[in-house]
Amino acid sequence: MTATKRDYDTVDISDPAFWEKTPDERERVFSVLRRERPVSWQRPISSPLMGEVNENEAGYWAVVRNEDIVTVSRRTDVFSSARGVTFEDMPSEVLEMASSILTMDAPRHTKVRKLISSTFTPKRISLIEDQIYRQAHEIVRGIAHLGDVEFVSAVSARLPMWTISEMIGIPEEKREEVREAANLMISWDDDEVSDALDPATAMLNGISTLHGVCQDVIDARRASPENDLLTALVQAEVDGASLTDDEIRSFFTLLCVAGNDTTKQTTTHTLRALTEYPDQRRYLAEDFDGRIDTAVLEFVRWASPVMTFGRTALKRFELAGRTIEPGDRVVMFYASGNQDETAFDSPERFDLSRDNRNHVAFGGRGPHYCLGSHLAKTQLKAIFSELLTQLPDIRAEGEPEYLASTFINGIKKQRCVFTAQE
Amino acid sequence: MPGFATTEEINKYIGGIFEKALDDTDIGPRLMATGMTLRMNFSDPEAVITVDFPGQSILTGEDAIVDADAILSMSADTANGYWQGKVSLPLAMAKGKLTIGGSAAELLKLAPLAKDLHPVYISMLEENDRHDLIIA
Ligand code: HEM
Repeated sequence: MTATKRDYDTVDISDPAFWEKTPDERERVFSVLRRERPVSWQRPISSPLMGEVNENEAGYWAVVRNEDIVTVSRRTDVFSSARGVTFEDMPSEVLEMASSILTMDAPRHTKVRKLISSTFTPKRISLIEDQIYRQAHEIVRGIAHLGDVEFVSAVSARLPMWTISEMIGIPEEKREEVREAANLMISWDDDEVSDALDPATAMLNGISTLHGVCQDVIDARRASPENDLLTALVQAEVDGASLTDDEIRSFFTLLCVAGNDTTKQTTTHTLRALTEYPDQRRYLAEDFDGRIDTAVLEFVRWASPVMTFGRTALKRFELAGRTIEPGDRVVMFYASGNQDETAFDSPERFDLSRDNRNHVAFGGRGPHYCLGSHLAKTQLKAIFSELLTQLPDIRAEGEPEYLASTFINGIKKQRCVFTAQE
Repeated sequence: MPGFATTEEINKYIGGIFEKALDDTDIGPRLMATGMTLRMNFSDPEAVITVDFPGQSILTGEDAIVDADAILSMSADTANGYWQGKVSLPLAMAKGKLTIGGSAAELLKLAPLAKDLHPVYISMLEENDRHDLIIA
């Protein structure tokens, strides 16, 4: 769209090798950019979903500072989500089928988000919260006799999809199918999964399973309403508008992605941090109920499970001294924003008493701010409350197996050990 | 759902929409740029259509039974509904009404172009007085 030819930054963060490094190694590179070139022009990256990079494709602006991430998130008049928000390009068809409000702009975003939010009534939230605590208890109790488990599959991965299925009202016999489909959707960039299946096929299969199951529930609730979220979504009406079946299915698919890997990864990163920082763990254990609400924000900042989201500029805009032109891609690096020394004191420290009002793990406080942030915090509080009471000496053991991804700060495997219970 | 009665009808209307698409000054070049071939297998009644986008050719019958980058299999009813924007791709896949072979990535590139053709398809049915095929 723009004819401007710019030189790519000498610090190259589009190199696949950069994303195979550990989060700490990447942070050293981001810290240079934050200090010296907070908005830098980068070469395009390739997406396994779209094939090789098109040579005519332009690059993107890398936004790495906390305050600039907030600006991009809030100025939705300038920075659009409708052309996709993932760092790697997604086919527009996938956006429609799977990303719901995440890739809508106002006024449609405002309308649909309002409709969806209207179904999260305080009563429904408190009901699901009670269920989350019970489920977290069961998950931890289920491993208590083992003493040594692979933490990701035994603990981290369990609660998020259970919560979504429970909340939406997915019938018991469909949950395994939904769980597998959701995992296909979040692992299209995982080489182990995509070796078996090409990434686009893996994703499309996942999406279609989720749409199929969701439509069955929509039909069932329309025929005979129940007291659950899906019935509420079917019946929701704000200012004379309601949700179409397509919109409900797409929202459900978004939940299976947005509400799944995020909390899961945060859980694993937090276990590692509590192991690495025994003083912080003691601090939390001393007064769990009094300190967990503040601590949980640090869990999320520390993990920054969503590392990147992008926008497309609609107008010319000056940001940190650079001129962004209409049509330019802009990518926010949340993990970097959460390590910004101008927003946090000693950001490299895991500090459970930290004032975390600036963290951008749930987004930069714009209209797309994470709709599930409250639910995510509840899940994390529940699972760590159970872990620290039932298995007080649980710790991460050995090095994790990281996921190579430009999107999710992921750990595929992490061993943990604890004193086995009777 | 109203449907096609004969193979000739499928070739005429589904083949026809691809002809119109390739002729379209906006959509035609975008289709050619995909560089792909698409084969569609229909049932009830049976028909096969293969479109070679860069070669701008539409093959039917025996000639269409060739290798392609992506292969779609569906009933003629589903096809008629799809071109009117009444069939959701993932839902049809989930319900087994549509199966895909070959490259899903290529198909995903085509899908948005198909959307632009829904009104063209409906007006083609109208022009041919085939209101019986139009889904309300
Ligand atoms: C630690 C866990 C989580 C993190 C770090 C996280 C992060 C994010 C981020 C960064 C965004 C985009 C914000 C923006 O563009 O400004 C987002 C959006 C969203 N999240 Fe989360 N999320 C988490 C958990 C959840 C959960 C559990 C759910 C639901 C069950 C959820 C549902 C959503 C939805 C629906 C959106 C789209 C909101 C919109 O576009 O209006 N998230 N999340």
